[in-house]
Amino acid sequence: MSYLFASALLFALGVYGVLTRRTAILVFLSIELMLNAANLSLVGFARAFGLEGQVAALMVIAIAAAEVAVGLGLIVAIFRHRESTAVDDLSELRG
Amino acid sequence: MSPWEAFALLLILFTGVLVVTLKNAIHAALALIGNFLILAGIYVALEARFLGFIQIIVYAGAIVVLFLFVIMLLYAAQGEVGFDPLVRSRPLAALLALGVALTLLSGLWGLNLAFTQDLRGGLPQALGPLLYGDWLFVLLAVGFLLMAATVVAVALVQPARPLDALSPEERKEEKEVVR
Repeated sequence: MSYLFASALLFALGVYGVLTRRTAILVFLSIELMLNAANLSLVGFARAFGLEGQVAALMVIAIAAAEVAVGLGLIVAIFRHRESTAVDDLSELRG
Repeated sequence: MSPWEAFALLLILFTGVLVVTLKNAIHAALALIGNFLILAGIYVALEARFLGFIQIIVYAGAIVVLFLFVIMLLYAAQGEVGFDPLVRSRPLAALLALGVALTLLSGLWGLNLAFTQDLRGGLPQALGPLLYGDWLFVLLAVGFLLMAATVVAVALVQPARPLDALSPEERKEEKEVVR
């Protein structure tokens, strides 16, 4: 049970990071934190409800890997055009 | 709750706080590695051994290294990053995060879970039949998603025009940005 509480706190930490961080990369780090908090609760629930929770956590890890590949590709592409990855500078899509 | 359990939970919360507060992006990414390694230990303790190893290999090994690589690629000349000019928005963000935490905790409060399932240690032998049984189409979809993500990532970092179509000055500039 204590793992589930820790997972909730970790998720809230991730929310705080996403809201306060200025650079896109650090926003991404906070999103990873949130995904891992979700994974922790999935693994915790697996102990009560069965192995499906662990399989779901495995899928979350795979999707996080895909998200990081696309996200970091986007960040590199944006950095080439703007010389910046600060999310406040990127508030418009105009190239 | 055993002392080791409490220690591990304190450690993941501490490294999580470091990830969202450290000013230097590289330090934050290193704190994230610490967080992932402790999480892997917790997974093993929660009878999810395969997931614990995957956590170390995929997350701590591949994803965070990719992060470090991009941070060093983009910020090598800048040093300190992640400075927040919107200090006034911080209490608001903290309030919102607190709200999320309270909502989640109130959902968990009073929940009484009996840890009775036989997970067979969370070994691949136990996960495999599920992955290739009920979850087969999810597995295929995730595989397709990974392939699409790879193609997109390669397409995104291509220069707008191929390098040999650029004039010598443009080529130099492109190389400088890509470094």
